[in-house]
Amino acid sequence: MSTLLRMELSKLFRLASVRFGLALIVVFPLLWAYAPGIFEVYGFFLVSGFQVPALSLLSSMQFLLPLLVAITAAELLGVELAHGTLPTILLRPVTRPQWLAAKLIVLVLYPFVVMAVFLAASLLFGVPYGFGSFVGGTGLGEAGLAGTGAMTPGAALGELVRGYAVAALALVPIGMLSVLFTVVFMNAAGGALATLSTLIFMQLLVVFPRVEPYLLTTQLNAYASPVADLAWVVALILVYAALFAAVSVVLFERKDF
Amino acid sequence: MTTPAIEATNLTKSYGGRPVVRDLTFQVNPGEVYALVGPNGAGKTTVIRLVAGLAFPTSGQVRLLGKDPHQHPEVRRSLGAVVEAPAAFYPFLTGRANLQLHADLAGGVEPGRIDEVLGLMELTHAADRKVGVYSLGMRQRLGVAAALLTRPKVLILDEPASGMDPLSLHLVHSVLQQAAQDGTAVLLSTHHLDEVVAYCTRVAILEEGALIDEVNLFDRRERYRARVTQPAQAKALLETSPFVRHVAVRGEDVVFIPASPEAVGSVSVALAQAEIGVLEMSRDIFDLRAYYRDRVAGERARRTGTFPAPRPDGTLPGTRRPTRREGDR
Repeated sequence: MSTLLRMELSKLFRLASVRFGLALIVVFPLLWAYAPGIFEVYGFFLVSGFQVPALSLLSSMQFLLPLLVAITAAELLGVELAHGTLPTILLRPVTRPQWLAAKLIVLVLYPFVVMAVFLAASLLFGVPYGFGSFVGGTGLGEAGLAGTGAMTPGAALGELVRGYAVAALALVPIGMLSVLFTVVFMNAAGGALATLSTLIFMQLLVVFPRVEPYLLTTQLNAYASPVADLAWVVALILVYAALFAAVSVVLFERKDF
Repeated sequence: MTTPAIEATNLTKSYGGRPVVRDLTFQVNPGEVYALVGPNGAGKTTVIRLVAGLAFPTSGQVRLLGKDPHQHPEVRRSLGAVVEAPAAFYPFLTGRANLQLHADLAGGVEPGRIDEVLGLMELTHAADRKVGVYSLGMRQRLGVAAALLTRPKVLILDEPASGMDPLSLHLVHSVLQQAAQDGTAVLLSTHHLDEVVAYCTRVAILEEGALIDEVNLFDRRERYRARVTQPAQAKALLETSPFVRHVAVRGEDVVFIPASPEAVGSVSVALAQAEIGVLEMSRDIFDLRAYYRDRVAGERARRTGTFPAPRPDGTLPGTRRPTRREGDR
């Protein structure tokens, strides 16, 4: 299993979608750090470097980040189909669940890598605003960017790390869903497209108030949830991830190659 | 009794209700080379994938060294296989790194084994180049090297010589022949009938997913043909000779299987002593290509009810044309 994990990790960072995605999220926070019309459009000024990460996250969590994760997950499987290496690996004494599990584990880690890079890049572009104590909020705590009073650097950083970690966790089921669809279609483009279509469809289901709290897309906003609600949100996200991963493994077990 | 290395029993595979492999039964013993031949679409690749455990049979069973490869994946430690043409590798890794990866997944190989198989397949010079720049033939040779890496007891190869130049082709067939001599069971699909006839033990001819004939080449390679002045007398003489296991008459020739390769000279002497003139004596080379063409054409004719143009001798291809064996009297 360690050989498989090493192999998958090394393959992950060779994928075009990963290289492009990481480059994009490194540059993306620049938009908010230097946006000249931010007051005219949104009615506020940035007062601290700790506010850049929240703006980056708010503007990318509904589409850009799910898109990156879905495409990478589909590509991680699809690249084996494109190179024809999947049957070659399965001829070795490696079980199908082991092989897919290695990919799924890497795809659990990937959103955390993405969010760590995203947070680091956002903080980097926040340098001109400084990282001292400030009056206001990080955007990921109570009362958003307005905040509830003075904030210390430690508290601000804590809020950001928690928010980014929850956001990373919320992206995990999207990667699993993309693997599931790629296993079904045995095609990376089909897998990514089906995942994005499902997410868009789910977003439309907000018109059903009883269903809305349980939707996968609702959990994409979990980074701003009060600490008290986090246990429930995390549990729901894990259920989604486990369900999608389990169905992927079961379907993959019976595939012909 | 030895357990067959590969055993397929009543193997059937359908896709969307359409059978692509029909009720196929065969076995390959250690040290045998078993070739699957047939027209494109005959089901050779599907059979290879079923036997290698990559596809699931709709019905029937596959056993590798007595075990179901799906239920006992550990049996793949004894399996070497190439199921893609060209063989599939990670293009961003070197040939050596790809083999190392295979070795790690197989649980490791002895030190120096990777260099050994690279040398065997004449790839030492390209070992540290990325596979992405390999030619088709080099990839195929790397595929055979990967298959041999763990000293497998079973080798399964789908078109192992596809896209190769004549020298590489000869190399691959020599390596497979040697593997069989070392006790490995080899199952391969191929269109290279002229090459496999030299060393295959048996050839299965597939058409529309069904096994229409299994030819034992081992027996046929032992045959000799003598053009003699009195075939009937020669046959009668050789039937009682201790140097001959089997004798038959085919036209002006007597065809015989000697008791041993050394006995051929004694047969010649025996015929001369009986004053039977021997005009010519040689190995009775089996024309697998012609036989194959005939059997496939015949099967198609039987299935469709349409018959191709008759042969010069007036018989219809595949319609009970006397094969060499059948033609022997």
